[in-house]
Amino acid sequence: MKSYTIEVTESQRLYGNTHLLWLVEPEAFFSVTAGQFVMAYCGEGWDPLLGRAISIHRRRVTADGRREFALLFDLVGRGTDWLARRREGDAVRIVGPLGRGFEVRERVQKMLLVGGGIGSAPLIWLADDLVREGREVTLVLGGRGTPQIFPAHLLPPEVELVVATEDGSLGETGRITGPFQRLLSWCDQAFACGPDAMFEALYRVVADSGLRKPVQGLLEARMACGLGICYSCAVFPKRGGVRLVCHDGPMFDLRDLYG
Amino acid sequence: MRVDLSVNLAPHHKLELRLRNPIMTASGTFSNGLEIAKHYDVERLGALVSKGTTLKARRGNGVPRTVETAAGMMNAIGFQNIGVSALVSQIAPVWEKWSVPVLVNIMGETLEEYGTLAARLDGVPGVAGLEVNVSCPNVEAGGIEFGQDPRAAASVVREVAANTSLPFLVKLTPNVNDIRPIARAVEEAGAQGITVMNTVPALAIDVRRRRPVLANVFGGLSGPAIKPIALRQVYLASSVVEFPVVASGGAMTGTDVVEFVMAGASAVQIGTASFLDPSAAWRILDELEAWCLAEGLNGLDEIRGVARRRD
Ligand SMILES: Cc1cc2nc3c(=O)[nH]c(=O)nc-3n(C[C@H](O)[C@H](O)[C@H](O)COP(=O)(O)OP(=O)(O)OC[C@H]3O[C@@H](n4cnc5c(N)ncnc54)[C@H](O)[C@@H]3O)c2cc1C
Ligand SMILES: Cc1cc2nc3c(=O)[nH]c(=O)nc-3n(C[C@H](O)[C@H](O)[C@H](O)COP(=O)(O)O)c2cc1C
Ligand code: FES
Repeated sequence: MKSYTIEVTESQRLYGNTHLLWLVEPEAFFSVTAGQFVMAYCGEGWDPLLGRAISIHRRRVTADGRREFALLFDLVGRGTDWLARRREGDAVRIVGPLGRGFEVRERVQKMLLVGGGIGSAPLIWLADDLVREGREVTLVLGGRGTPQIFPAHLLPPEVELVVATEDGSLGETGRITGPFQRLLSWCDQAFACGPDAMFEALYRVVADSGLRKPVQGLLEARMACGLGICYSCAVFPKRGGVRLVCHDGPMFDLRDLYG
Repeated sequence: MRVDLSVNLAPHHKLELRLRNPIMTASGTFSNGLEIAKHYDVERLGALVSKGTTLKARRGNGVPRTVETAAGMMNAIGFQNIGVSALVSQIAPVWEKWSVPVLVNIMGETLEEYGTLAARLDGVPGVAGLEVNVSCPNVEAGGIEFGQDPRAAASVVREVAANTSLPFLVKLTPNVNDIRPIARAVEEAGAQGITVMNTVPALAIDVRRRRPVLANVFGGLSGPAIKPIALRQVYLASSVVEFPVVASGGAMTGTDVVEFVMAGASAVQIGTASFLDPSAAWRILDELEAWCLAEGLNGLDEIRGVARRRD
């Protein structure tokens, strides 16, 4: 974890209100895992002051051998608006890689990935990796409507895609808990990212099913540092105590939070 | 050539409190140092200050605990900490291996708790001194109420002094009519120095939810936005005391540190700046050194308090 000022190599609105930024990868990112994030510093000077937590969305090696990583983010306020206006050749300061990413079990085959809205961002890279390792991947994407759904043609073709939209404009009508419930018994391990309410709903599905399926969730929290030094990003497990999302997570086994 | 930036924050105390340089970390903005020490050489810094520590472990406030404001941020963490016993058994042994002095920031809910905390930390290897917090705006009991009245502050100082052989600073709040009588009372009661200042009590409102943003309602403002307030408080406090004044509030650059020293500070704590960049304290130290070299200074004594001179 260090501070790096790095160059933007590609910047585009990818779909809906969602922007994609490719950046030159610092060498220290070599061993990052899916689910880890960076703090991105937006603007010059001290306003806005704090970094924005953004998951690492994807990684690639260019034809000339340069390592790059991508951020995929919704435009919601000042920080993400500034980030989306960066163009090829511009510099962005980031601190990373941060947090604890997904922990994929070794000898298991059937992987269920569940992303609500922009929660799909870190799952795409996970899907890339799992497919490359020869595992079976089913990706469930959900959102209010079509503009919130990551484009299917940008996924590895081996991925089995299931889409659910609340307005019914794409895929099944309804929330992702439906397909999640159906696919739970099929999978060996599940990974989820999305809004807080989604995790609790997923946990209920698992608990009610009686199946002892491990589900890892990637949590969100208000962060000031992302480094484990300010104690802003508290999450309170049902059983008591307090954990820091940026330091103990953002990956948590849902049982450890809601069980 | 290098400038000698070393400073002694407790010159009249038998244990002294010698710092390699005046750059310290601020309580609550560096955890207990272990996270950052994995990536950066903490030994280069002047001193570290622990997370605010209470007698019993505390879970802290609900969320949101922080919110960004114009060139600043507000926090109401509510003293999430592992408690003094765990600090002594798990963290202090790590500090003991470091040569950088570590001060433990303590906060009591009652006068007696300050004494008990001081006694628990007395003689603990790895603990070089204390910073007594009488200025936290984010807890129901204790904290700030001891820091807003000279007599109450002096009674905390006497209680701590009676229970420790360690040198200690007292951390004051800017939320008073006049900081000078409090600074003087703390000096007379036997503290080795003061830290000026803690966060500025503040409020942020979420118009969509029509409620305060922070779960705790109020929070403490920090960051570049409060530097001018901190400078004034350091200037005022150091004009009435002889002992060291440690500055805290919005320091982001080496030049900011120079400003605090010119106002009268002996050392400067780096707080919110570390959230933006974990190596901020090191960068600021480099900038301070470069400034001193460019100005041909032999040490910071040459400029300490110069902005207060009227000649
Ligand atoms: C571990 C983690 C990973 C994330 N990954 C992604 C990602 O890959 N893609 C993506 O689009 N978003 C992601 N987010 C959410 C992202 O951090 C916020 O959307 C972003 O901070 C908004 O900043 P802003 O200045 O545009 O919005 P504003 O609303 O103007 O921000 C104001 C303040 O609130 C904070 N804030 C606002 N929304 C959120 C939020 N949802 N979560 C945490 N803090 C917030 C900001 O950081 C800032 O300090 C992630 C959050 C976390 C904690
Ligand atoms: C998130 C956060 C937590 C803090 N926790 C403590 C604490 O536990 N004890 C304390 O005395 N001060 C605490 N402070 C105050 C800082 O030590 C410092 O005095 C203040 O933030 C002003 O300095 P800055 O502008 O450089 O951050 C905290 C500040 C922040 C931002
Ligand atoms: S955001 Fe600072 S501790 Fe997690």
